[in-house]
Amino acid sequence: MPGSPMIELRGVRKEYEPGSGRGRRPVVALDGITLMVPRGETWAVVGPNGAGKTTLFGVLLGFLHPTAGAVRIDGESPRRYLRRRGAGYLPERFRLPGEWTVRGALLALARLEGLHGAAAGAAVDRVIGEFGLGEHAGKPLGALSRGLLQRVGLAQALLADRELVVFDEPTEGLDPLWRIRFRELVARLGREGRTVLVASHELAEVERIAERAVLLEGGRVREVLEIARGEGEPRRYLLELAAPAPSLADAFPGAVPAPEGGARYVVTVADAAELSGRLAALLATGAVLVAVHPAAEALEDRVRRVLSGGGA
Amino acid sequence: MKAALALAGLTLRDRRRRVLALLAFAAVFLAAGTAARLLVADEGGHVDADRLYLLGGYPLVSALLLLGWLLGRFPLLATLVLVSGVVSRDRTEGFARLYAVRPVAPLAVYGTRFAVLAALAFGISAILLPAFDLLMLGTWAGPATLVLIFANVVLFGGLTALLSVWTRGDGWIALLLALAALVWDALRSAGALPFPPGVRDFVAFVLPPQAALFRLEEAFGAIEPIPWDAFLYVVGYGVVMLVLAALSLRRREV
Repeated sequence: MPGSPMIELRGVRKEYEPGSGRGRRPVVALDGITLMVPRGETWAVVGPNGAGKTTLFGVLLGFLHPTAGAVRIDGESPRRYLRRRGAGYLPERFRLPGEWTVRGALLALARLEGLHGAAAGAAVDRVIGEFGLGEHAGKPLGALSRGLLQRVGLAQALLADRELVVFDEPTEGLDPLWRIRFRELVARLGREGRTVLVASHELAEVERIAERAVLLEGGRVREVLEIARGEGEPRRYLLELAAPAPSLADAFPGAVPAPEGGARYVVTVADAAELSGRLAALLATGAVLVAVHPAAEALEDRVRRVLSGGGA
Repeated sequence: MKAALALAGLTLRDRRRRVLALLAFAAVFLAAGTAARLLVADEGGHVDADRLYLLGGYPLVSALLLLGWLLGRFPLLATLVLVSGVVSRDRTEGFARLYAVRPVAPLAVYGTRFAVLAALAFGISAILLPAFDLLMLGTWAGPATLVLIFANVVLFGGLTALLSVWTRGDGWIALLLALAALVWDALRSAGALPFPPGVRDFVAFVLPPQAALFRLEEAFGAIEPIPWDAFLYVVGYGVVMLVLAALSLRRREV
């Protein structure tokens, strides 16, 4: 159903029974979560440790039953949806029995995806190639490093072309090269129209891959932050000058001193062309530019502001 | 089904230490039986207990009797060792979530895995028990052996599977329940339970059906006709446990 939300959570509450002991009260992991994720969008779920990110995914994918509220994926209950359509899923701390080989594990999971014979082999070969696992295919999973195991986790999540893909802390343990590749992968999934959810502590990473970020704290949605990345949307840059320049305010109206201090300023422009033009005007006044970076910490600043009681 | 079989095949791979331990345990029985046969077998191929007594006194006879008793429990032990963790390990380790997002029913995944593990427990027991009989008696108890093994595997496999859906301690709890049933049945038969008959019968009904299992064991030991009513009762109990396990699996969080 084009136009309908892919994921709907309405008033979802999840309580865990406490351990033994009289008078103990249930632990509330999620409280009143209401969200609608449109089909084909990439959303991130961010928040401090214990905010409820993994529980949210557990309830969303039907692993856990909500204590109250309703969850729908494409209009169906999660378990019914998954039984019929499946989903790509990378859990936090991906594991499978250490005795299984990389290829053996992927083949078994490919068969659970409904792929058989040559189709299963082809799917496994594709993800082994895509995630650079060729030379490790015959190794037992227990012998792999954390980063390699995470790549196997990503590979198994993408064995079949699922409309819904959920990653829980996907870049944990990945080296910088594979973080870049993961970014490209999410961009590709987005272009293919998949609905992607990513839980992560890495806000700079989230800012690069997601369209919106759900900020959870204490099991509640504090804010749904829009992440401006598209063409024509304002972009923020950090300018580092050799010394403060009085002409900065003329070249970049609205420039503000960066939190790092010194001759560093955060400026907002519409696009790269405007940035170049304004920089040229600034440099023409004799200002000396040391560096210019995308202001990648913007989401982090916003998250910090919301969590400290301010608005987004 | 093919998908679930592939996963069950991998399960056998990570159960290989347990299989090796069971085979080693079985080898101890066979080595003891072979030694007894070589030392004191009579002309008919029987291990003669009187000659064994003359050779080593009570300790040797007691050891052989203990082995014989343990052998009767081997299908139970093999089932517990292989089936324990059939569901609970996946839940504890987080593997269950990787299967739950795939378009395959959990019942197919765990049902197939249970069937493969139960068949393995049956297979190992079905080799060991007749082999031990042949060594000790020069013959075997015939199909009654297989009936006894099958009843044990279904009964304790079903019980362990149900417990496995709900708790990590499935194998140990099943063992405790088996021992409790053994003791309760012995005390009940001896009229030594200080409880009203209703309580005695209810507890005996809830615990694994040791009385019926004992009738099967007696028939096996005495090479008598199989008491099919006892067999059906034992298997029925196991099947009820399996049905409850299947129903629980549908609702259980992973």
